[in-house]
Amino acid sequence: MITVRAPLQSAGAAALCELAGSQKLLVCVGSGGVGKTTTAASVALWAALAGRRVLVLTIDPARRLANSLGLTEIGNTEVKIPLERLMKAAGSPGGGPATTTRPAGELWAMMLDPKSTLDDVISRVSKDAKTRDAIFENRIYRQIAGSFSGSQEYMATERLYDVYGSGRYDLIVLDTPPVKNALDFLEAPGRLSRFLDRQVMKWFLTPEQDESAVSKRLLLGTSAVVYRLLGHIFGREFLKELSVFFTLFRDLYDGMRERHEAVGRIFGDARTSFVVVSAPNEPSVDVATFFLHELRQRKLRVGAVVVNQLHRARLVNPDVDALIGRPARELSSSLAAQMLARLGAAHRRLRDLAALERQWVTRLAVEAVGPGGGGLPMVEVDRQAVEVHDLVGLLGLHRWLFEARS
Amino acid sequence: MADSGDSSVLFRSRVLFMTGKGGTGKTTLAAAVAKLAAAQGRRTLLCELDSQRPSLTAIFSRVPSYLPVVVGENLSICNVEWMPALDDWLADLVGAGRIVRMIMKNRMISIFLEATPGARDLMLLHRVAKLAERYDLVVVDMPASGNATGMLSVVSTSRRLFDTGPIRRCAEDIESMLARPDTNLVLVALPEEMVVNETRETRARIQAEVPRLRQPLILLNRATPVTLSAEERLLLDQLASSAELGVDGRELVEAGRWEERLECATAEALERLRALAPVVVLPVLARGEGAARVAGQLTAALARQSRVKVDLVGDAGRSASGGSR
Repeated sequence: MITVRAPLQSAGAAALCELAGSQKLLVCVGSGGVGKTTTAASVALWAALAGRRVLVLTIDPARRLANSLGLTEIGNTEVKIPLERLMKAAGSPGGGPATTTRPAGELWAMMLDPKSTLDDVISRVSKDAKTRDAIFENRIYRQIAGSFSGSQEYMATERLYDVYGSGRYDLIVLDTPPVKNALDFLEAPGRLSRFLDRQVMKWFLTPEQDESAVSKRLLLGTSAVVYRLLGHIFGREFLKELSVFFTLFRDLYDGMRERHEAVGRIFGDARTSFVVVSAPNEPSVDVATFFLHELRQRKLRVGAVVVNQLHRARLVNPDVDALIGRPARELSSSLAAQMLARLGAAHRRLRDLAALERQWVTRLAVEAVGPGGGGLPMVEVDRQAVEVHDLVGLLGLHRWLFEARS
Repeated sequence: MADSGDSSVLFRSRVLFMTGKGGTGKTTLAAAVAKLAAAQGRRTLLCELDSQRPSLTAIFSRVPSYLPVVVGENLSICNVEWMPALDDWLADLVGAGRIVRMIMKNRMISIFLEATPGARDLMLLHRVAKLAERYDLVVVDMPASGNATGMLSVVSTSRRLFDTGPIRRCAEDIESMLARPDTNLVLVALPEEMVVNETRETRARIQAEVPRLRQPLILLNRATPVTLSAEERLLLDQLASSAELGVDGRELVEAGRWEERLECATAEALERLRALAPVVVLPVLARGEGAARVAGQLTAALARQSRVKVDLVGDAGRSASGGSR
């Protein structure tokens, strides 16, 4: 594979090229509003243009991925993003990694619908249609699969397992929900496994039980006190349905647990890297720092740090009149003076903002180096004049992500 | 309704839920509202819900615990963690602490409760309802909008799931708190297209899931009010395409265009958000100054916007109940 790269490519850009070009799973983490989804989509686009088959997958409950890919809606199925049109629109200059020299790969996108994801899983692991339908009918199942918060995380791991193992993609770029949930997400396999804990299941089930046997067991013996307490709290009806639910799930247990453990292994795989995304302000640097610590502690691989939305101002105390006084007066003698004052003030504000942002970037850089030295490659992306909401915009980000000079 | 939103509704609330897309500054704004309410003499509690790393820590220089801690005159903060909330709920339910401890020690039961869908959300919201009995105002810094929606919809889903019993009653308690006329949900937005999109979506989803929860106001944070005239914008455009500018001159003009874009974005966001609800505009403040100072500045900005109403708060409180709305 020949990739045309700038000779003085920055370490960060080189690292991202390497990650997007060779890893199998990239997980973007960071706080909300830092351009995580946009970054994930842009990285995915780059890899696709570099010839790989790429899926960008979001489990963000808010429908942001569709937004940044310029699609109106993405469902629970993989949607192919047509790149031909993009390549025509983008033309050649700066158009990604040598778009004209070789055929592009594929870019797919998917946004999770937790309910239908779980339905898929149940259909697949159910031994027959009757079991499957009984589960679908169960009220508890319907609620678990539906709108309770947290189910997205469970389902994300399910879906990730599917697409990862399908062999259809060379690279999956996973966009995660904002911070507090992203952690849930890392822990989701563990939590669901716990719910499906064999001992808990056993407590509700007898080896050769049918529904009435379950109820009998629950009402007799040592479990009776606990059962009565649970019945008191949740209501008898609920418990009855729960034992039906467990009965139905008994056969699915091994399959589901296996899948969740496999997802745990995928996160730890050598071909999985995390990309920490941040913006240059206190709350997001704080969250990014937290992620760096957490990921290191879990011995998960962090591949790069991306800082988005940077403002820049180069001039110090510019002489506004000397620089633009004459053209301004030529254009409008009446407005020139106040325009010059405005521009001076605007520039001072921009400069102040840029200086503050630099402090946060520096702080994050210190964190990224880490206690053991080594140092994580960092990429800086300027705030875009126009909000990125389509493929051309995503393509425009490659200049910073993959082509930055040192 | 007047051109801009009237933030006094914030201070007439008893329970105020605040959410918004991640990064909109909802925590800082929640703190600002709480501080201002406290300054008006209302006993105020500001809480986060089961936060692994409470964001309030940075603003108040102390970690909020499950039990409220006083951080200033009339102002306390807390982090409603779900396990102690569950303990409290069980204690209310079965009385004495010994039985509660026995229940909680049973591994089976704790796993069961932890895994029961929605149990966590129910316990958290129930605790908020309890706390609301002890304060004049409880400001709840909710999770980001997608998850906040899921959390609030727990009420309707629980209704479908639990027919009888204490869990059902717990859901009903929460439901009546959400339906109270002085319980409000406020969405925090930024003047950015995607944030506005998500704000609209969130509002619609919450309206569908929790139709009785009032959403009287949207806070537009980090706004740049429009000050450039049409003539000035034209001049700026002409300057930008002027061939006479050097690199340095261009940087100056770009700074002007940067502010112009912020103004336009604010105007657009306002137009789209006002179609949904009254909007209170909060100005952009220098960022990176530390959350505590920003919260202080926002408090001042909010106070300015609601000054008339704040001065009248004693009367307004009385007349509001007999008011036409």
